[in-house]
Amino acid sequence: MRFGIRLLAWVVASLFGALALATIAFHRGEEINALWLVVAASASYAVGYRFYSKFVAAKVLALDAQRATPAERLENGRDFVPTNKWVVFGHHFAAIAGPGPLVGPVLAAQFGYLPGTLWIVIGAVFGGCVQDFVILLFSVRRDGKSLTEMAQQEIGRVGGLVAYGSVLSILVILLAVCALIVVNALKQSPWGAFTIAMTIPIALLMGIYLRRLRPGRVLETSLLGFILVLAAIWGGQWASETPAVARYFTLSAPGLAIAIIVYGFAASALPVWLLLAPRDYLSTFVKLGTIALLVAGIVVMHPTLHMPALTRFTDGSGPVFGGKVFPFAFITIACGAISGFHSLISSGTTPKLIRREKEIRMVGYGAMLAESMVAIMATVAACVLQPGTYFAINSPAGIVGQLPETAARTITGWGFPVSASRMHALAQSVGEQTLFNRTGGAPAFAVGMAHIFSGSLGGQAVLALWYHFALMFEALFILTVLDAGTRVGRFMVQDALGHISRPMGRTSWYPSILITSGLIVGAWGYFLWQGIRDPLGGINSLWPLFGIANQLLAAVALCVATTIIIKTHGAKYALVTLAPLAWLVTVTFTASWHKIFDPNPRVGFLAQARQLATAGGNARLIFNARLDALVTAILIAMVSLLIVESLRHWRDVLSGRREAPLTEAPFVLTRFAEEQG
Amino acid sequence: MKYFRVLLAALQEIFDESAYLRFCAREHIPPGRSSYKRFIRELYGSKPAKLKCC
Repeated sequence: MRFGIRLLAWVVASLFGALALATIAFHRGEEINALWLVVAASASYAVGYRFYSKFVAAKVLALDAQRATPAERLENGRDFVPTNKWVVFGHHFAAIAGPGPLVGPVLAAQFGYLPGTLWIVIGAVFGGCVQDFVILLFSVRRDGKSLTEMAQQEIGRVGGLVAYGSVLSILVILLAVCALIVVNALKQSPWGAFTIAMTIPIALLMGIYLRRLRPGRVLETSLLGFILVLAAIWGGQWASETPAVARYFTLSAPGLAIAIIVYGFAASALPVWLLLAPRDYLSTFVKLGTIALLVAGIVVMHPTLHMPALTRFTDGSGPVFGGKVFPFAFITIACGAISGFHSLISSGTTPKLIRREKEIRMVGYGAMLAESMVAIMATVAACVLQPGTYFAINSPAGIVGQLPETAARTITGWGFPVSASRMHALAQSVGEQTLFNRTGGAPAFAVGMAHIFSGSLGGQAVLALWYHFALMFEALFILTVLDAGTRVGRFMVQDALGHISRPMGRTSWYPSILITSGLIVGAWGYFLWQGIRDPLGGINSLWPLFGIANQLLAAVALCVATTIIIKTHGAKYALVTLAPLAWLVTVTFTASWHKIFDPNPRVGFLAQARQLATAGGNARLIFNARLDALVTAILIAMVSLLIVESLRHWRDVLSGRREAPLTEAPFVLTRFAEEQG
Repeated sequence: MKYFRVLLAALQEIFDESAYLRFCAREHIPPGRSSYKRFIRELYGSKPAKLKCC
């Protein structure tokens, strides 16, 4: 009887999800409610988790309730700690949820809400969640080894080197893109710049409070920091309306870029307790609270989507970034569908906290589903805007023109009506001088989020506060990735240089700290500078580059996972990881081909360089376009090498030419075996 | 109450409060300024800062 009821419930959930998916896929010409997206995603996630992840857990990974995890076997109270599954879930989600699932879907909304939504839902269920899940299990079975170590162990030295190179490249490009988003969000915005500038003294204050007054009371300190940040948002309004103060915070893009580069260097070289750690806590606090608020706001307000399902820009002529819906929608949205970066988290801290193998499904697969839902919310935030407003904010001046009237005319000519006066009124209502040409995704997301929030809490009167809250939230989030990422990159470079010069490998030797911090900051700072000098807004070049790097890292992770599955089961279940791998390889290689060789200068780097050279353009811009083409080619070459190496491995293992020894830690019976669930 | 406890435990893990208490227990030292200084040094000093995704 109970089985029958459960079966009926799943049939109803599946039908409901199918109905919602059909509605968003086939509805044309009329606006639809955002709840259709939420229902389609929720039902698909529920069915995917209940059936597909269960199949992967039982058949492919054979999760063993009797087997002790490294958290139990190697328990040391430091890295290896058996932890409650919900606590690990929260910890893992907080680590994987970054600005990516918020920015990518906003940019991809130029194609309409449909491509992004379908990719987020299908990509997560069959790709991203599977990747996070299998890498987490394989790391747990190998005493918490990292992706790089597993690649070296399973595919050989080439695998290890490619994984290392990919991680470092993605880090540099990621940090440059993150910094560029902040620059585009805060340029000529005294309110936003003041608020974000204030988070630095607030973080320093928190650091001192934590160190001297209330050691270890992080939650309490973060709450205090959050209250101070809210005060800073309120103070930002005063700063923007006081000309004597506002002029210090009204910064140009180059001015902001220099400030961020100096900040990145300082954050990497300063004592961690003073700036990096408290800032990390503060941003995590704001992040978790805001995501919860956003979900509640969308469910309560259930706004209408004004963006059509598909726009004319699926043909590749979009102003936000150049390129057709295939393959560019699939590299623009990485986090939220599938992100290679997650494989680093799944083989980092999380496997050392897992108490029982059975819990890996909920943590690995489940947390990624939650992240995917955040991406759906970001799609909603972008698509509740009138399309004309969305394109006015996200289109660079190089495409739509410098003057508001020209930009409005161009966008209206595309079939998305907008007027300069309406944009001016909107800018006034959110406390900005202008909202034209605010590329990067963050301002559009902030306007959409403010629109949703102001509908439920405070009305239009507090639209400006909500807008700056959303802007602060994203910028704070991104700057935390920037300082933590710079530090991680510094450690990686120190680790590599340590093989050449022993002192350079010492993480506490100050000359080494300064040199390696300078190298990493110089690398991402270069790309950032390139982005702000780009007449097409920078995002047009750098976000696809980041998307390609991130998806190629996912390809590395899926190569490792497929190799392990083939060694364990032969070809039987290889499709589980091979199918998403094949899709990613198709998407990223096609996108890379376009980014290098496409004859359209808005898409192909070499065509852009040629066009600039013909027009007698700036030599630096020409060099940058060629450099971007070279970076893309190097990334593709590295991953091609790994794929060829993996294919050789798979052929040898399947044909019996090569032994396939399991590199798993030996079986030990868990003491938690008697626990239910 | 049970849900609140789990939520609090998750937040304490995310914000390293639990890690700090484990550190004190492992080192047999009481919570305080010097132990927190040592804890932060251990948490961030010899290995990369906790990785955050994009």
